[in-house]
Amino acid sequence: MTASAIALVGNPNVGKSVLFHRLTGAYVNVSNYPGTTVEVARATARFDAAVDLIDTPGVLTLPARSDDERATMRALLHEPLRAVIQVGDAKNLRRTLTLTALLAELGVPAVLALNMHDEAGARGVTVDAQALSSALGIPVIPTVATGGEGMAQLTRSLADARAMLPLLHYDTDTEAAISDLANRISLHAPHPRLNARGLAILYLGQDSEVEAWLSEAAGENGADLVSARAAAQAKGVLPAALAHERGEAASTLTSRVTARTEQASPLLAHRIGQLIIHRFWAWPILLGVLFALYEFVGVFGAGTLVGLMENDLFGNILNPVVTAFVREHIGVVWMADLLVGEYGLWTMGMTYALALILPIVTTFFIIFGLLEDSGYFARLSVLANRLFKLIGLNGRAVLPMVLGLGCVTMSTLTTRILHSPRERLITIFLMALAIPCSAQLGVVLGLLGGISFTATLIWAASMVGVLLLAGFLAAKIIPGRRIPLVTEMPPIRLPLFGNVAKKTVGRIKWYLIEVIPLFLLGTLIMFLLNQFGALPAIIRAGEPLVSGWLGLPPEASAAFVMGFLRRDFGATGLFALSHQLSPIQAVVGMVTITLFVPCIASVMMIVKEQGWKIAAAMIAFIVPFAFLIGGLLNHLLRAVWL
Amino acid sequence: MSTHDHKARVPLAFLLPGARAEVDALDDAIDPTQREQIIAYGLAPGRPLIVLQQHPMTLVMIDEVELALEDSVARLVWVTRK
Ligand SMILES: Nc1nc2c(ncn2[C@@H]2O[C@H](COP(=O)(O)OP(=O)(O)O)[C@@H](O)[C@H]2O)c(=O)[nH]1
Repeated sequence: MTASAIALVGNPNVGKSVLFHRLTGAYVNVSNYPGTTVEVARATARFDAAVDLIDTPGVLTLPARSDDERATMRALLHEPLRAVIQVGDAKNLRRTLTLTALLAELGVPAVLALNMHDEAGARGVTVDAQALSSALGIPVIPTVATGGEGMAQLTRSLADARAMLPLLHYDTDTEAAISDLANRISLHAPHPRLNARGLAILYLGQDSEVEAWLSEAAGENGADLVSARAAAQAKGVLPAALAHERGEAASTLTSRVTARTEQASPLLAHRIGQLIIHRFWAWPILLGVLFALYEFVGVFGAGTLVGLMENDLFGNILNPVVTAFVREHIGVVWMADLLVGEYGLWTMGMTYALALILPIVTTFFIIFGLLEDSGYFARLSVLANRLFKLIGLNGRAVLPMVLGLGCVTMSTLTTRILHSPRERLITIFLMALAIPCSAQLGVVLGLLGGISFTATLIWAASMVGVLLLAGFLAAKIIPGRRIPLVTEMPPIRLPLFGNVAKKTVGRIKWYLIEVIPLFLLGTLIMFLLNQFGALPAIIRAGEPLVSGWLGLPPEASAAFVMGFLRRDFGATGLFALSHQLSPIQAVVGMVTITLFVPCIASVMMIVKEQGWKIAAAMIAFIVPFAFLIGGLLNHLLRAVWL
Repeated sequence: MSTHDHKARVPLAFLLPGARAEVDALDDAIDPTQREQIIAYGLAPGRPLIVLQQHPMTLVMIDEVELALEDSVARLVWVTRK
């Protein structure tokens, strides 16, 4: 690590990432702080190779409450920061300055990048940067990160970064409590860079990162801080009141430096934004978006690209060469098998990860980035909220679920955007149960579509029914309160190609690092099961259930076991049997396979995110449940559909 | 004055699109963390707002911020009409 770092800090969606990419070179290192799930990007600054630039997650409130906020607080506490660049949204100065007020208390040298100047202008909002700069005592630079405006001034201004003038004073009692705590902090746990006063304010507000840092630094004197805080609270010094004061101070300063002109007509962006969640127009627009998604990811990604990669590149060129090479150089048969055999790390694991899933997730990430940057996703969560309310979630969960249609393994990881552990648990469970991934979706639709529209419809209705039923029950059983949706609607924007491309590349890199090892581990387990002869035994053991209860041919049992390895494999296995299947058997088989445990990689991911116990409990529920529903459907269909 | 104020106080969820109002108070029934967040979003006592939509969720504009609130929360936000 270099000796000096500069952090970008700001509210969510103000353009930090875009600015970050403008100020750094191509090589970006994304990492997590130990114990947190949130990613922090880091790279060498373009303007000074000795400086590390850190892009922190967005903060809505400080003291920190969310994982994002805790990660940002951690960066402020632990990174060797020379300065921070606060990135603010010029059209939302009040919120920007509420954060500024707290950074000022911490005494970090800062400059303020007043971003989104273009959007503020379009809305008739002008900010007097000069006046703001003299009020805060630091450089204030208007920027348009997407257009690169103001970048040179911003980097130059860093030389003038300094601690800000305080924005406010609290009332006498509060001030007394703050100084008392601050004195104790200076005594027991002085921070090398941050002011004791700011830490005292955060500590009063029960910021968990500050609590942890202070208690470690103060050692046995920590008790003194705890009792001083308790005394302050007993005197009625409440964190909410402090936050309110900061908001008021920010409001006052905002009115002083902002001028507004009434706009004659609403912006086009506003009108589009409202149409997207309009009672009537929302639905045709949604269908259009889904159709585009299907065409690009399902047809182009999963069809054309996978065909090129799997058959042409891997099947015809790479795999024969690699296999021949390995067989020639490795004499021990089982070792060669481990690499290039039926369950080989290369022939199965890597081929699957690179030839089958990579093209799909790549196309998916592109669409995802477009929908994200255009402002559509935030509105989709508003549209979906009512439905998700039924299953104990809120509209935010629509994102991982849609992503699950691409790859459940990957979307399990993105449940980190959800705000409560309860929401994460329910969403991961429902995705494992009833969301078919793209690889599987292709086979299901191919098989059932070939039979009849009714067959496809029964399958789809079963999935939606199970999703709602299981969600409804999970919401009842899993303790905790549902959190209603309150969310900001970002403006509708035209996504920028460069920005989407950068995000996509970053996400693909992350996929390669996070997901591929799981595919390899899954392949290894499969290889071992096969080596020790356990696979045929498992397949035989399942036969009575498969042919008796589900009414499928005995061979289908293998498809279920294979389905565990790769979700689409199971479906493909049944596909291979399709000439022997009656329409009822096809529907029952596909419903059961879709509900059946997700692929082994996604199980690994669930273990990673939720731990062994929860993952085991989920499987223990899902496997019998898939057979139960499949069997019931079998008997129901035989009774009514002839 | 206080009695008059009290009469004019209505839940945000009851206003029609186009209505202008000022936030009066956030009900204590709102989850404390969510309350902090709502205030941080700008929906704080004393702040003016315009109601944009009530379906599928309550959508309000505060300065240049569009904020969507689920009905169960919008019922707990007290506002006075302007
Ligand atoms: N019009 C405009 N859009 C911007 C500007 N800076 C960023 N954006 C867009 O704002 C959105 C959020 O930016 P991002 O960097 O992801 O925000 P972050 O959450 O703060 O990292 C993206 O769609 C950007 O393209 C700007 O100066 N002007």
